Parts: sequence; C-alpha cells; structure tokens
Amino acid sequence: MKISYNWLKQYFKTEVSSEAILNALPLIGFDVEETEVLGPPQMEQVVVGEVIEFEAHPNADRLRLCKVKTTEGEGHHSIICGAKNFKAGDRVMVALPGAVLPGNFKIKKSKLRGIESEGMLCSAKELNIGQDHDGIMILDSSVALGTELNTLYSDTDIIFHLEITPNRVDALSHIGLARELVARFGGTTEIPKIHSDLQAVNVLESNTMLKSLVVEASDVCPEYSAVCIEGVQVGPSPSWLKDSLESIGLRSINNIVDITNYVLHESGQPLHAFDAAKISGQSLKIRYALDGEKVNTLDEKTHSLDDAMLVIADDSKPVAIAGVMGSADAEVDENTRSVILESAYFNPSSVRKTARKLNLSTDSSYRFERGVDPQGLKFGIERACDLIADLAGGSIVGQRVQIGSVNKVMEKIEFFPKAMRSFIGFSVEDAEVQSVFESLNFKVEVDKASDAQWLVTPPTYRQDVSRPVDLYEEFIRIYGTDKIPAQSISADGINAIDHPIYQFNDAVGAHLTGKGFNEAFLYTLRDGDEVAFFKGKDHAETLNLKLENPLQSDQSHLRNSLIPGLLDVLDLNLARQNLTSQFFERGRVFRVLEGQLVELISVGFIGLGKNLERKWLERGEFDFYSAKACMEDLFSLLPFKVKERTWSPIEASEFWQAMHSAVTGDLSKEGYQASIGLLNLKNVKERWGLSHPIFAGSLLIQTRLFENEMKRFRYQALSNQPATLKDLSLVVDKSVLASEVLKTIKGVIAQSIEGFACESVEVFDVYQGEGLEEGKKSFAVSMKFRAQDRTLKDVEVNALFEKIQSAVLKETNYQIRK
Amino acid sequence: MIEKTLDAIVKEVNETSPNLGSRADFDAFKSTISGPKGKLTEVMKLMGKVPKEEKPTMGQKINEAKQVIQASMDDANKRIEESELLSSLGPTIDPTLPSPDNAKGTLHPIAQVRDQVVELFQRIGFAVAEGTELETEYYCFDALNIAKDHPARDMQDSYFMPDTTEMANVSKESDEKYLLRTHTSSVQIRTLLKEKPPIRIVAPGRCFRRDTPDATHSANFHQIEGLYVDKNVTLTDLKATLDYFVKMVFGESAKTRLRPSFFPFTEPSFEMDFYSPNLGKLSNQWLEIMGCGMVDPEVFKSVGLDPNEYSGYAFGMGIERIAMILQGVDDIRYYYQNDIRFLQQFSD
Repeated sequence: MKISYNWLKQYFKTEVSSEAILNALPLIGFDVEETEVLGPPQMEQVVVGEVIEFEAHPNADRLRLCKVKTTEGEGHHSIICGAKNFKAGDRVMVALPGAVLPGNFKIKKSKLRGIESEGMLCSAKELNIGQDHDGIMILDSSVALGTELNTLYSDTDIIFHLEITPNRVDALSHIGLARELVARFGGTTEIPKIHSDLQAVNVLESNTMLKSLVVEASDVCPEYSAVCIEGVQVGPSPSWLKDSLESIGLRSINNIVDITNYVLHESGQPLHAFDAAKISGQSLKIRYALDGEKVNTLDEKTHSLDDAMLVIADDSKPVAIAGVMGSADAEVDENTRSVILESAYFNPSSVRKTARKLNLSTDSSYRFERGVDPQGLKFGIERACDLIADLAGGSIVGQRVQIGSVNKVMEKIEFFPKAMRSFIGFSVEDAEVQSVFESLNFKVEVDKASDAQWLVTPPTYRQDVSRPVDLYEEFIRIYGTDKIPAQSISADGINAIDHPIYQFNDAVGAHLTGKGFNEAFLYTLRDGDEVAFFKGKDHAETLNLKLENPLQSDQSHLRNSLIPGLLDVLDLNLARQNLTSQFFERGRVFRVLEGQLVELISVGFIGLGKNLERKWLERGEFDFYSAKACMEDLFSLLPFKVKERTWSPIEASEFWQAMHSAVTGDLSKEGYQASIGLLNLKNVKERWGLSHPIFAGSLLIQTRLFENEMKRFRYQALSNQPATLKDLSLVVDKSVLASEVLKTIKGVIAQSIEGFACESVEVFDVYQGEGLEEGKKSFAVSMKFRAQDRTLKDVEVNALFEKIQSAVLKETNYQIRK
Repeated sequence: MIEKTLDAIVKEVNETSPNLGSRADFDAFKSTISGPKGKLTEVMKLMGKVPKEEKPTMGQKINEAKQVIQASMDDANKRIEESELLSSLGPTIDPTLPSPDNAKGTLHPIAQVRDQVVELFQRIGFAVAEGTELETEYYCFDALNIAKDHPARDMQDSYFMPDTTEMANVSKESDEKYLLRTHTSSVQIRTLLKEKPPIRIVAPGRCFRRDTPDATHSANFHQIEGLYVDKNVTLTDLKATLDYFVKMVFGESAKTRLRPSFFPFTEPSFEMDFYSPNLGKLSNQWLEIMGCGMVDPEVFKSVGLDPNEYSGYAFGMGIERIAMILQGVDDIRYYYQNDIRFLQQFSD
C-alpha cells in the first residue's frame, strides 16, 4: 500500500522527520518495501530566468544560442538549448553552473560545438516536477526573476510503499497509519471534523430519488447506508485532491469519484457513488446475483456472476458487484446531477470469494475482505458528504438511510500483567504496559491490586485483538522489540535423537561425495510427457502423479525417480564441456502402490560409462559393478537391518537396459527396492540425446522402514586357528547366476559340515571361451574353513571336500572342472 | 701349499665379489668357490692328507679363510638382494602431475548451508525431525490456524493433488485435499501430535509454491523449521536462540532486530532481520532472514495441548535465501541447474 507523507501529516502533526518515520515503520510492523520521492528535491542554483533573445547555433542546426537573464538589469547568461518550444520573453527554469539536478547531474560551464554554455534551460522531467520532457518548462510571466525552484515548488512528497500484513486492515489508510505513528511517537491523531448533520433513519423519506432500498442478503451485508445528494456539479477535482490521489498512484476521474477514493484512502472505508438517474425504478436491492447474470464493470470488462456473489441491483440489473466494483451502467460522469452514496459492511469471506472467482481485486475488495471498521461506515459517508458539499455543491436530500447494524461492541479482554511478564520473560512496570495500551486507544480498566486482572477493550477498528496473547503482541510491538533483554540460551537436554531418515541422508552424502559423486538438487516436479514416455500413457503413475493445478506443462507431475533429473544434469554439463561425470541426489520421490500414492525416501546416482576426460594415466571406467558397489554401500548405511538380498537381472524395461541392469527388493513387500545398471541406451538417446553408456543406481525406501528398530551390533567370538582354503571350479550353463551356484554350494556344505565352520564361499574367477563347450561358463569358487579350537587336519577337510563335490554332481547338472 | 691356495682363494673372493652384478653371476661365482667342485671345497678335501700335528693349525686357517669368504659373499648377496628389490620399481615419479583418480565430490551448496544451520541448532539441544513433502490442507493450514478463506492462504498459492488422490503414508485429518507443502511448519503439527513436550526440533525440508520462476522464486525451495515447546518458554528465550544463530552464521559483528509481523500460527509474530558489516554488496543494511514468533494458542488447541500450561516458540527460514546471502549468489536458479563449475565453487 502507498502512503503519502504529506497526506499523512494532516492527521499526524509532528516534528518527527520523515527519516525517523521511515525507520520506525518496520519496527512497529509495517515493512517499507520502497520509498519514492515526488517533486523536486532541494536544489541550489536553479532559478527563474527570462529568454531575452536567441539565435541558431552557428555549428549545429538543432541548437539555439540563448541570452538569458536571471535578475532585472543588464547582465545575462549565454546558454545553449536544444528545445524549440520557447520564444523571446518566456520565463523559464534555468540551472546555473553549480546546480545539481536529480540523478546527480552536475551543471558546469562547458563548450557545446565550440561555444560556451553557462547553464541549462530545464524541462519539468529534468527537475522531477512532472513527466513533461517534450520541451523546457515555460512559466507564468508573473513569476519574479531569480525565484528559486524550491520556493516555487515546495510540495516535495515522500511515498512509502508499505507491506501491510493481512491482520491489519485498520492500517490500510492514512488515518490508520497516523494512529500507529501517534502510538509510537506520541501526540494525537487529527481526525477531520464532520460538518454534515445527518441522522440515521431506517426508512426512506418520500422526497429522495430512491423509493426503495432493500437488503435481501443481510447475512453477508449486515449494514448498508445510503445518502442521496442532488444538484451536484460533476467536474475535474481541484489540484490538491488530484495530487493526493496521483501521489499514491490513482487516476483522477472526476470530483465525485475522486472523493470516494480519497475517503477510502483517508479512513479505510470503501464508498461507492451511483448516478441516481441511472438507477432504474429508483430502487436498490442488495441481493445474491442470478446464475449467469452479467455486469459491465467500470474497468470496461463484462463479468458473468453466479448465485454466491452479492450485487447491488436496481429494478432491472446489477449496478455494482458488492464491495468489489461498480457497474458502468450506473457510473457517475459529467452529466450526473444526483448521486446516491453507499457505505456498507460486506462479509469479508463473501467479498473474498467473489473477488477471487472474478479475478478482480480492487482497493475496496482488499479492505472488505479483511473486515472494515464497523464504526467507520458512518464516518466515511459523512466525510464524503462534506467533501462533496465543498467541491461539487449540491444538497443532501433526507437523512442517512441505514439498513441493519453491524456489531460495534468489542469484548473486554481479561488481562493479567503478571502472566504477560512470564510470557515475555522480562520485567516491565504495570504503568508502562497501561500507557502502551492507551496509546493504542485501548480502554484499560485496572484493578487496584497489583497483579490482579485488567479489563482491556480495543477500539472497533482492531478486530484482530481479542485474546490476552494479542495484547502481549501489541505491547511488545509498541514498547519495542529492541528492549527485549539479551540473554544466554538455556538448553537443558531433551531425550530425542535425530530422525533416522536425516541420519541416513547425512551418511549417504558423506559417502557418495567421498566416492567422487557430486550432489545435485533437482526439481520435484517433472514433465508428464517424460513419465508417460517411460511408463506409458495409461500407467497408474502417469495418471496419479499429476498435479491438479500445474503451472507449467514441463512441471506437471511428481517425480517417480531421481534418475531423469540426474540425466538432465549430465546433459547440461556435457553440453558445456564440463566432463565431470558422476552425480547423485538425495530426495523424495513418489510411486503408486496398490492404487495409493506413496512418498518414498530415495537416493539416485549416475556415472558415465566412458572416460571422456583425457588423462595422462588411464583408470577403469564406471560400470555395472561400480554401480553395484555404490548401492551395496548405501544398504550398509541404512540405520536398520535389511535381510540378505539377491539381485536379479532386469529382463525388460523402458528405463533400464535389459540384462545389463538388476533389481533387488520389492517396495510393497520388503519396503525397499534398488535398481542398478546400464540405462536403456535407445531411450536415453531419444530423450536426452546422450549416446554414451550411462550407469545408474536408484534406491527407494518406504518411510515406515525408518520406524523399525535401529540396527545394533553384537560381538561374536573369533577363532585364532589357521584357516584352510579349498577351491572348486564348476562348469555351468551360461545363464546360471553366481548367486545360484553359491547357494547350491552353501547348501551342500551345510548338509555335510561337522565340527568346524565354513567362513566364506566366494567366486574368484569367471571364465567362458576356449576350452569350454559352447553355451557354458565356469565359476571358480573359494571356500574357507576354520575350527574354533584346533588346527584343521587335511584329512577332515578333504573328506568334506569330497562330499561337497559328489553332492554337487548328484544334485545339479554342474560339471566339475579338474 | 694349502696356505698359499687359501690365500689365493680369499684374494680372489675379495676381489671378485664386490663386482658381482646379478644373482646369476653371484650363483655362478659362488659355485666356483664353495660348490661341489669349488676351489674351497677342493682345499677342504686336502685336509685328510695333512699330518696330524698340523691339523689344528691348518683347520684354524681354513676356518679363518672360510669366515672371510663368507663375509665377503654375504656382502655381495645383500647388495644384490637390494638391487633386485629396486629393479621392481617403475620409473621415478613426477609429483607435479595430477592424480588420474576422481577427486572427491561436493555436497550441494544448499545442502551445505542446511547442514550448517542444522548443526548449530543440534548443538543447543535441538533434534532433527522429518516430515513429508506431500501434506494435507489440514496439517499445512487449518491446524496452523490458517482459516479456509483467510487471506494468508492467498499468500501461498499452492500445488494441489486431485481430490481422488489417496496416500498410503500421509494421513488425513478428514476429507481434506493433498497438496505439496508450502512450508515446513506442517512438521510442527505432526510432531506435537506424536510427541509430548518438552519438544525441541528443527525440521529441514523441501517446500513448494505456485510461483513463476525468476531470480528469487523457484518451483521448489527449502526451509528449516524450528520449534521449542515446554512449560515457561518465553519471548526472551526466542530472541536468545535466534541471536545465537545469527552470530554463529554471520559472525559476532552481526546485529539483529525483531520486526513485528504476522503469521496465523504465532502470536506475537516477527520477522528477524540482521545487519552485518562483512557481507560484500549486502553489508550494512537490514536483511530479512526468517519468520518467527511464539506458538499461537490456537495451534496448541489443535494438537490438544493446554495453552495455559505450555508455551513455545517457532521459527522458519528459507535455506536458499541464507545460502544466497552467504555465498553471494544472485539468482536462485543456479542452484537447480547444477553446473559442476557452480557446484564446485563451494568446497575445496
């Protein structure tokens, strides 16, 4: 909201400087977003002069060489000027050498095309007086030579652009803000005296131009006042009114409309003026609109209404959307002779809904939505009557008709100074508290006993103050937050640990950066086309991850994976010749499981499977098994135990490259799922244009797993005895996975072992090719045995080894390679 | 005769062994001396023919010669062993060449600032809480005293999910809509419903507003929410905590002020501003850093706590905003582009 300093000073008469006010406003809750200086700032050496004569500049056609005098008498200044809008004898504004114009533009003697100029003739814009820049300012011939600019134009104004929080509708006006400054700086708020002597009546008198006034929807219009004025002279506003409105960015329309706007910005009460002659049937009804009813508003738009919207209507049509905007059909214009003034209280939520639905926010609706002062209706309309009488003449017919009455009684708040002191945590005298409340026009009834209860009644314009805690806020706001004492922190221990999700993410960040991955932050919202591209148009995720109200088509869906974002990152960096190729993200993703949306904890990483950066010494490339190591590490960082996992090759996927990628876990059953491997070459190329092999890992975990018992580790006794190693080489079908072979061997060991333990069974070589049958491969497996209490004898280990071999041969179709 | 031969052998060994260069040369020479047909072996064989009375003297001489020979051969052996070890070395290193291994990666600059902020609060007894990014209107607005048609809901135009959305792991209060949370304040409600005071938490997380992206607005952004609820928590405690925080982040020379403001879920409400002489272009001006206030009695009521028994404070700050101030970044979108040259500017 814009507040004019000059306007404000009418109600807050003070010696306090504009700067002090500017500094104080944020500290009492009104943040200043911007200040704007209107009119000329203080300028020396800018005076009224007269052009004695001029001639064309000998070296430049566009320029004139002028003789200008700034004092009566002989002397003159030679000044070169580019403007053409003056003649000899014109009085003009002259900036003499030494002057500094707005924008720190210093005027000096200087040569222009070889001839010296001793100053400058100024346009209104150059002096910050107006917008005119077509030529220099021509003044009235009566202005004395040598008069300083600041004597001529003394109405410098400062405009504060304030951010008024939604609870402070009372401060959305100049008087409202003046009240706040009075509370802060002292003094009294100078409220304009009302001269109209109107009574409130609830029936129309017969001589008015209104024969009928009915409030049908009293639920949303508890109070409606109207005054009829006839014989007004509609015309331009006087300059003080025009300037006031223009200073806060409003356009002057005519004296009547300007007065209603002026009163709104003065007192906060929105008013409306109808041309009485345009009210059909001389009747006004405050009713709900008919569905589809049309209204042509003053902003030259046509709105279609619905039956939840309130209108002011005459016999045949709506003449205003209540509290929002009037209709052009009842507009006050130069032909208007009689007006009907409206001052009303419209239900905040009703106005708000209407304004939102119509996407029409006005100064009126903005205030009604927040709840105007119930006492302000009367002041507003009477103030407008006074101003109309002054500026447009005319005479009031009858009295002020008031239908209904909005509640004007404020509840008394029970307030205990002692309770406030323990809430704010420091000591303050009762008298000081009372004086703050009274500076805000809160009525304080104090009980004599020192810590007993007070009864505090705020004025009607402070509907936001109704509870003791609201009074605490008002106290600290005006008393000054800078007076809250500095104190050291009291922080006794609380039995709580960091959430396991945070602990996990923390560990993942440290680990993956240590492995050379760079963390990226991507948007949660992604393009629906992308989801459909990988999942299909009718997939549950394509359908159910869509927002109801996306803003942009490329941010229409919740992400179901971190990997596409990471591909964007890789793509962007490669396009910029940044060859760093490993990225990760920690974040939330969304999936659909059994028809329900689930928010999941996720970690994703990608690495380019090709070393693009040339290095003087080659290192291995990032491949499937690199991705697997990263993923296994992530599992070990989980704060809870995950049962033994088996990886299965992905056999078909739009996202992963079949048989070059693998998956473990099930989101519904185990509550987690991890995928690793090569991304689908064709689709990655199609969507990102990346043709290098890219390996990735994606871990998804249900939040519920983090509610599980956290893992703990228990000591197990170690054996100090030497181990015995046995190797077994098996020839199997190419499609057989290592995990099957290991499972088989572990199984047969478990059947046969006795008296000692098998510590590990591991594949240490995989071979296919020469020496093996087509379609076969071999796994070399190493087994490590150890006893708890003695050195193993060869004979017992050999006996077991024999049993293992015969069992493998018996139970499988593996061959043993000798 | 034997003596002369011995002297000759010792002489030969002493002269030859220092020049033996390889294991093969060493073994070949050794066998000419102490091998089955070696010169020393041959001399030993002559011992049998030595007269009995000369045997002790001769034996001593042979032993002396053997010791000298052995010592000389040991020296040669050790020397060759050492040179064998060194021969397994590659070329000498150039310490000025870069390592071809990948350097460590970096945490995202937003994550770095988040961690820094979280850690400062952990140090004074706050534990980290987590919430979900999808929330319901009730937990995001209603329970925080933001009424359905209150203009405050206008202040945060939100991304909603369709009415048909059902979620497995985010509970609803009744039949309200799901939306992407507009602030981390929803974690306050979930925590207050689940745990009993004293509660002292910080909740970092991602938030969403339906804003057109520009230099200061991003489709998603991050906040850290703080909440302390106990008996007798005061406004002075709030100021002490936030003063500590600002001084730890921006230095002892930073000043703070609490500017009265409005949030439906705190009363009184403030914006905290700070002022620092050491912030480059942003030095010596008041900068807004977070919203805060005392928990509104309505919030306590909505989670079933008695506002007459408990009090508390809450605060919430935008991580991007703090990061931009600290790191001197002037466009929020850089954080989401992830150009590696940008990311790597915030770590060594």
